[in-house]
Amino acid sequence: MRKLILFFSLVISLFALDLTLEIVKDVGDQPKIVLEDATSSVESRLDAKFFKLLVGDLEVTAHFNVDTTRHVAPFDAPVNYAAYKEANFLLRYMLYYDDKGELDAKITLLDLKSGKPLLTKAYAISDKARYPFLAHAIITDANNILGFPDVSFLKRYVVFSKYTRPKHADIVVSDYTLTYQKTIITGGLNLFPKWADAKQTSFYYTDMSGTPTLYRVDIYKGTRTKIISSPGMLVCSDVSRDGTKLLLTMAPNMQPDIYQYDLRTGKLTRITSYPGIDVNGNFVQNDRAIVFVSDRLGYPTIFSKRIGSRAVQRVIYHGTNNSACSAYGDYVVYVSRETNNAFGRNTFNLYLASLQSDYIRRLTANGVNIFPRFGIDGETIMYIKEFGRQSGLGIIRLRYNKAYIYPLHVGKIQSLDW
Amino acid sequence: MRKILLSVATAALVFTGCAKKTVEVQAPTQQQPTQQTTQVNEGSGMQTINQGMNEQELKMQKMKEIEAKSKKIYFDFDKYNIRPDQVPNVDWDAQLFNAQDAKEFKVKVEGNCDEWGTDEYNYALGLKRAKSVKDALVARGVDPQRLIIISYGKSNPVCTEHTKACWAKNRRVEFELLP
Repeated sequence: MRKLILFFSLVISLFALDLTLEIVKDVGDQPKIVLEDATSSVESRLDAKFFKLLVGDLEVTAHFNVDTTRHVAPFDAPVNYAAYKEANFLLRYMLYYDDKGELDAKITLLDLKSGKPLLTKAYAISDKARYPFLAHAIITDANNILGFPDVSFLKRYVVFSKYTRPKHADIVVSDYTLTYQKTIITGGLNLFPKWADAKQTSFYYTDMSGTPTLYRVDIYKGTRTKIISSPGMLVCSDVSRDGTKLLLTMAPNMQPDIYQYDLRTGKLTRITSYPGIDVNGNFVQNDRAIVFVSDRLGYPTIFSKRIGSRAVQRVIYHGTNNSACSAYGDYVVYVSRETNNAFGRNTFNLYLASLQSDYIRRLTANGVNIFPRFGIDGETIMYIKEFGRQSGLGIIRLRYNKAYIYPLHVGKIQSLDW
Repeated sequence: MRKILLSVATAALVFTGCAKKTVEVQAPTQQQPTQQTTQVNEGSGMQTINQGMNEQELKMQKMKEIEAKSKKIYFDFDKYNIRPDQVPNVDWDAQLFNAQDAKEFKVKVEGNCDEWGTDEYNYALGLKRAKSVKDALVARGVDPQRLIIISYGKSNPVCTEHTKACWAKNRRVEFELLP
């Protein structure tokens, strides 16, 4: 499905045939949207946060020129067209508590040029803490009604592991902005969470207390099932599109190599065997091949290998320290350390490469940019940016050549999946 | 009793009538007063039962002592080979773990990294560091069956400041003894 979406988006947009080529779209091409807040009975702090989320969501779609001023108007008041002459759309919304005390929202999306209402809808959410999903649902609907390309990544969950103290890390599920957070696994060292399939109802993670053990957790049933264990280290790096095969980095003989684990048969197949470091396997080319990180040149960089064949091919001919990657279809996003300072701050930038061409595209310019992960559309990349003691969540919209950074207050992230 | 016997003997001599005879009368010896000692028995004679818990605690203490004596092995940035200046530390650790009082314990060889590098690769780097040290210990006679290796990546820093001295301290292998 992910491939299909990518295929169509590539066919439809002639200008985005190769995402490794930079396409700069003029902001002026995008329709201007104005937000009007009609909320009066909800805590002002929540209301303010909600407005910021709506603006952030609209911006990250890259489909709008967003007026970031918070205009206020009663929900049923006539529209002041004269004030919004430059704008194309008006999104008026109101947050309120219903009779059951649950947080509700109602919206009207108006075409300011024709005066026609495009969408009128009410939303309810049983747990107030989940209000970010309310904002994400509203903007997804507004985007879809206007016929813009899919932005369902707004409604996706993020699962991440964060360090709490030495040898301790919790696993948390959040919305894509990491505003809503629910801790799912706590106690001990819990690492490398990875969604089990596109439905995001369960994830894999490694429990490091004792022999590293891979579990699958059903987040709605609150159950966990043991999959496999291996001494030394064990990471679920990727899951096949149909969810039946896992790419694991394991070290049964204290030697980190990449294995494929078939969940239906329990069969474990060793894919790489090299006496150095082979890690971070990602399925590519319809799950028939993998890309991975190896230090077989004396420094880490990206290689590919067809499953079942012996030949290993170098993918990246740039940089001397490319130690992490994520793949989608034929595209690979990787982390490259640009400086080689053993005793100072280093710069880690993200690059996009294609298995079908020799082009590479630099996606970030400075700072420490790590944990790149493709979104479900294959055109959006999430990553973490660290600058000084602060960290931010980055979203790159490849097709639009736009990047957004949101400040994060979650402590030290170990790993994340989107 | 002795007094009575003495009196009877004296009386017999008096009444048997040897008047002119000088009778040497032995004056009764002065009796020494007997020292009265009270034996205090409360609190003595209690037996100890050496339970497992105590033994376990002793074992733990012994393990901690050996751990404290062990030396950390430090590594270069992005490297997992043992530096020449760290070889004496490996020699020391091998000798320590080969000592008679350490032989009953297993040794967990823990690989650690600094805050640089990324997730999976860093864990693998920590593992390779631990394996280098394990191999070096085995070459120095430590039973490989006693050695367990694990990588903690950058999850277990000994130093959290953003300084070069701190990063160097975190690129290390250290040991934990297991019963």
